[in-house]
Amino acid sequence: MSPLPFLLTLSSVLFAIGLFAVLSRRNAILILVGIELMLNAGNLNFIAFWRFSPHPDPVAAPVFVLFSIAVAAAEAAVGLAIILLLFRHTRTSRINQLNSLRG
Amino acid sequence: MSFLFILAPLILLSALGAAALARPVHAALMLALSLAFVAVLYIALGADFIGLVQFLVYIGAVAILIVFGLLLTRPADEAAEAARSLRTQLFGLFCALPVAIVLLNVVASSPELDRAATAPQNLSVAAMGISLFTTHAAAVLAVGVMLTAVLVGAAMMIRDTDPEDLP
Amino acid sequence: MSPASAPTFLETLPLLPQRLIGDALRSLGIPEAFAAAAETAVAAIIVFSLFAGMFALLSLIERKVLARVQNRPGPNRVGPCGILQPVADGIKMLTKEDVVPVSADRLLHFLAPVLIVIPSILALGVLPYGREWVPVPATLGLLFFFAVGAMTELSIFLAGWASGSKFPLLGAMRAIAQMVSYELPLILSATAVVMLSGTLSLPEIVEKQGGWTLGFLPAWNLFTPWGLVAGSIFFIAGIAEANRCPFDLPEGESEIVAGHMTEYSGFKYALFFMGEYLGLFALSSLGITLFLGGWQAPLPGLGFVPSYVWFFLKLAVVIFLFLWIRATFPRVRMDQLMRFAWMFLIPVALLNLPSAAVWHYAGGGLMGWLACGPFLVLPYLALTIHFNRKLAQSTRTYRFAE
Repeated sequence: MSPLPFLLTLSSVLFAIGLFAVLSRRNAILILVGIELMLNAGNLNFIAFWRFSPHPDPVAAPVFVLFSIAVAAAEAAVGLAIILLLFRHTRTSRINQLNSLRG
Repeated sequence: MSFLFILAPLILLSALGAAALARPVHAALMLALSLAFVAVLYIALGADFIGLVQFLVYIGAVAILIVFGLLLTRPADEAAEAARSLRTQLFGLFCALPVAIVLLNVVASSPELDRAATAPQNLSVAAMGISLFTTHAAAVLAVGVMLTAVLVGAAMMIRDTDPEDLP
Repeated sequence: MSPASAPTFLETLPLLPQRLIGDALRSLGIPEAFAAAAETAVAAIIVFSLFAGMFALLSLIERKVLARVQNRPGPNRVGPCGILQPVADGIKMLTKEDVVPVSADRLLHFLAPVLIVIPSILALGVLPYGREWVPVPATLGLLFFFAVGAMTELSIFLAGWASGSKFPLLGAMRAIAQMVSYELPLILSATAVVMLSGTLSLPEIVEKQGGWTLGFLPAWNLFTPWGLVAGSIFFIAGIAEANRCPFDLPEGESEIVAGHMTEYSGFKYALFFMGEYLGLFALSSLGITLFLGGWQAPLPGLGFVPSYVWFFLKLAVVIFLFLWIRATFPRVRMDQLMRFAWMFLIPVALLNLPSAAVWHYAGGGLMGWLACGPFLVLPYLALTIHFNRKLAQSTRTYRFAE
């Protein structure tokens, strides 16, 4: 039996854990932590399919994962910049308190 | 494939720690640990280059950024996160569980997966480089532009309003 | 010395123990996998004990050299000329009380000094010390080096945060900001070498630097325009990565006690020093591998000397440079440090990449120098003139001290 289903199960659970982190956290930075976990679950799928299934292009999946890692790093940088800016203005990084636009 | 059965629980346990630990810094460190295990998994699956890049970028940059952000926004969050309400936890669980069930169901019901195994292959970095700068050249340029924009944008956002203008 | 000839006995001397043990295990009928693992373990033990010994020696030599520069005798009580000082220090460190602050996170406080030594040791494993002497010949050696190096920052953060005290936290934040900033020029300058060598494997990078230009000048990367620039940037960024003076702000004694190490005592404190010095060795060795031709001999006709002798001679010279700089320069200020990285080193390192490409397409030689020169000289002049003008115009204002 190929380990592909096992790897996909792993990445599904990892994705769900990430989603749980995103939805249950109040601290904006910890929400970022959950997003990173979800992105990793996606990357894991790419590598698993690259390793264990027939495909025309032997490097397409790793190249995609490389781009995804670059985007994840950029996203973390911008996200943190925004959070720090918010923190400077409001002295909090809890997203449920950032509701000054609420009518 | 025995490494899988060692690595998978480690990845999931540390990810759970990242999702559920009360102290923010602990959660961030668990995230780093989890990402490191995923990098080891990549290396074990034959994608050494991706694994090492994951290590370099996630441990060296993303995890550092996150803990740095936690330190800079410290005063408010320690108590807040510890006292987060049961309601949000339940809400998270309520949303995440169905997603997990659907995903697992999809994996379990796919008929293609079992007969899909091909000869394992190792990642050739040279082939990847050639592919990056020929087939995916446009994407590389786009990522380059994006990263530059991110660098400049983040720096501009965070810039101090009264710069200490000493060379 | 033609590559086809069998390596001499002296050349393979460092490999002797591992071969003996491997052969002995195989003759006992132990499976090949275990014999190979044992060989690797022996190779690792040799490299580690060698560098641990050099760490002990360097802790003495550093003090002796500093003392010589500052016109004082230095340690001279223990043994002849103070030669047993490292032993005395070791005993002192081992017998001191291990203090853990009440507010510390006990587990992480314990883990940090352990985690700080591991990456340096791992990085030492992939370096080619001699023609035959490569502990782990990894094809992605350079990437591996930087990937494990990324762990250092996280362990410094652990040390600072887990101590639960102000100075360590401030020191850790300084250290992380500094190391993240200086890792960029470090990696960018190494990228130029990767571009022109076409490989990430460190032994191959050294092989490519063999041969001579004009019959006497070694074909090291340092003796090309891009190599000169990249080598200088690598050296400067390496000083900052290793937290050495003049970039030793994370542990600046006069400002924040000892930075992230403030709350550590006894052997844990010694482990921090060990991690720092092993990191210094690893970075210097990488610099030698990338720019100074690794184990290649510096002059033609010296091929009869075992190659690893050249490697360690070069290492000694580079380490001495580090000590000399420490004894000479005052510590820089935090904002100067960050500005220097982001506004000078990184732009120059980025411009160095196209210049390496130009060198490749110009085919090297005089043409290469002429084509590369403007790429590097003009931005350098522009940047320095710009910064000097800024320096001349601004009258110095003191915000925090009068």
